Amino acid sequence: MPIFNPDVETRERKELLEFQNERLQIVVNQAYSHVDFYRKKFDEARVNPDDIKNLEDLKRIPFTTRKDLMDNYPYGMFAVPLRDVVRLQFPMGLYGNPIVIGYTRQDLKIWRELVARIMVGIGITEHDIIQVAFNYGLFFGAIRFNQSAELIGAAVVPTSIASAEVQLRIMQDFRSTVLASTPSFALHIIETMKRKRIDPQTLSLKIGLLGAEPWSESVRQVIEENLNIKAYDIYGVMELVEPGVAGECSARAGLHIFEDHFFAEVIDPRTGQALSAGREGELVLTTLTTNAYPLLRYRTSDVTALHYDRCSCGRTMVRMDRVIKRTDQMVSVRGINVFPEKIEEVLAGIDGVGPGYSMEVTEKKGLNDRLKVLVEASPEILAAKEEKKIALQEAVHLALRRAIGLRVEVEIVAKDRVLGVGWRG
Amino acid sequence: MLKIKNIDAFFEKIQVLRRVSLHIEAGEIVSLIGANGAGKTTLLNVISGLHPSRNGSRVFLDVETRGLKPEKIVALGILQVPETEKVFNPLTVLENLELGAYLRSQDRGQLMEEMEQVYQLFPILRDRKDQLAGTLSGGERQMLALGKALMGQPKLLMLDEPSLGLAPTVVSEIFRIIQSLNERGITILLVEQNAKEALRICRRAYVLDTGRILLTGTGEELLNNEEVKRAFLGKDYKGKWER
Repeated sequence: MPIFNPDVETRERKELLEFQNERLQIVVNQAYSHVDFYRKKFDEARVNPDDIKNLEDLKRIPFTTRKDLMDNYPYGMFAVPLRDVVRLQFPMGLYGNPIVIGYTRQDLKIWRELVARIMVGIGITEHDIIQVAFNYGLFFGAIRFNQSAELIGAAVVPTSIASAEVQLRIMQDFRSTVLASTPSFALHIIETMKRKRIDPQTLSLKIGLLGAEPWSESVRQVIEENLNIKAYDIYGVMELVEPGVAGECSARAGLHIFEDHFFAEVIDPRTGQALSAGREGELVLTTLTTNAYPLLRYRTSDVTALHYDRCSCGRTMVRMDRVIKRTDQMVSVRGINVFPEKIEEVLAGIDGVGPGYSMEVTEKKGLNDRLKVLVEASPEILAAKEEKKIALQEAVHLALRRAIGLRVEVEIVAKDRVLGVGWRG
Repeated sequence: MLKIKNIDAFFEKIQVLRRVSLHIEAGEIVSLIGANGAGKTTLLNVISGLHPSRNGSRVFLDVETRGLKPEKIVALGILQVPETEKVFNPLTVLENLELGAYLRSQDRGQLMEEMEQVYQLFPILRDRKDQLAGTLSGGERQMLALGKALMGQPKLLMLDEPSLGLAPTVVSEIFRIIQSLNERGITILLVEQNAKEALRICRRAYVLDTGRILLTGTGEELLNNEEVKRAFLGKDYKGKWER
């Protein structure tokens, strides 16, 4: 398969590390001089930016967490004045303070190239027609497929949240060759095909570019067999760039992290100690080129392992295992991230319900599909008339929907049916 | 070609360069921009061996140059055209050019050939070859400085403010010449206060700020960088909220 930017993607690791080293010092200088949060954090940890001389010294810098981003909402983490920012992104579904991520024109140009690298690496060319069936409203990453496809000259059909039937009709009529969606939506399309007796031979699909939620190898197999495609995994972090941090290549031996823009570490999430190559732990990323929103040692909460040996595709960039687990309790429902903390926050605002609740993600073939929340209600409410219970159920449902952006099934139950306050799972 | 890693430099007790790391690849024009006092000239002097550096490494074509005397570094192919006193005023143009080849083997025929090339690049120097360098105009003196450096057959040519104090038409002529030298295979490290021109002709650039590298990118990226625009094109801002 061709390589979009061979100079960079196949650079000898020694040179790559020297490049990362040079960039790391610059990003540390910028963060220290432009971001009050980092200046304070360095000073408190008694780390002088001038002490950061190599990638090993990076370990002396404290981690950045999602809480830091929340505490510094809205613009406390920005390294540039607002005037230089051309896009502000606001991920949905977070609890507590929201977070906002800024991008300069230059940042967007970089991220556009990264998804293009993934596309080219799995064989997408200017002759392809990419049908993007991500939710453009809730998953900001969707728009990146447009920009990157346009960069390599492929055509984009942003079908967004059209129903599976409409998606299939477009697939047939437009002869779409690539499907970009969540794996669960790909499964939904397969089910619809079976129900409508649509022969996969009537489709022109060749490639699936799937992500935004965890999916197993067995799910990959089901999708590939039923859609007659090769399906590839793509990875991003909503606080940095999503997607575009890493992606699979034709070898499918892990996802290549774009190390010219991110420095990756894996740590033990309990001790914070760095783990050696091949060991599973929490992925920690440091941005090396970001202008607006530099993050030093950001804890992604995603669990993976890193592999540095050269890939058969020719790329020298480190590969990460596919992410199936997280260190926090976030679940992904149809590509939308849901934090239990958010549910607690919503329930706390409604009289007569909570604090106990249970979250249930109804799974389909190992995939998160529907979210059901059992909510504890007071005995008075449970003894009340059916209409009153339904009204309350509806109120919780609406509040959750507004907060998360997803339809959530709600059932009001007695205390003994939920597994306790703040139980998450 | 040149790899600098974690260089510190001091004037007495004042630190003027702080763990500066940068690299230059063969065939590139790399610009170094920064405000007065940022440490640009010191960095060039460190690379030339004229100013001592502490810590770190400076590897040129796989040779560690730390601890080498300036003349050894010149012999390796690093030539610096300083900002001031770049030519020997009491000597003629011809003598200046001959001095440029001082460290090299004295094959007269080859020297004449190279001098001929310099004259082709700067015809004005041929007309003035018997004139004292001190009587030349600013632009002519800059051309002589470049010609003298070329006589040393540089692999890496470091130019310190080559456009300083020159008339605008001469400035664009000098930048044209720098580009043509690069096209002849000479790698160039350019220090300039004329950030716009320096970024326009370079492949990559570094921004030095109080002794630290604060930004890097291609010339085009930095030309469009708001921070560079503000710092070098006279724009300022008050705070994060400003639009």
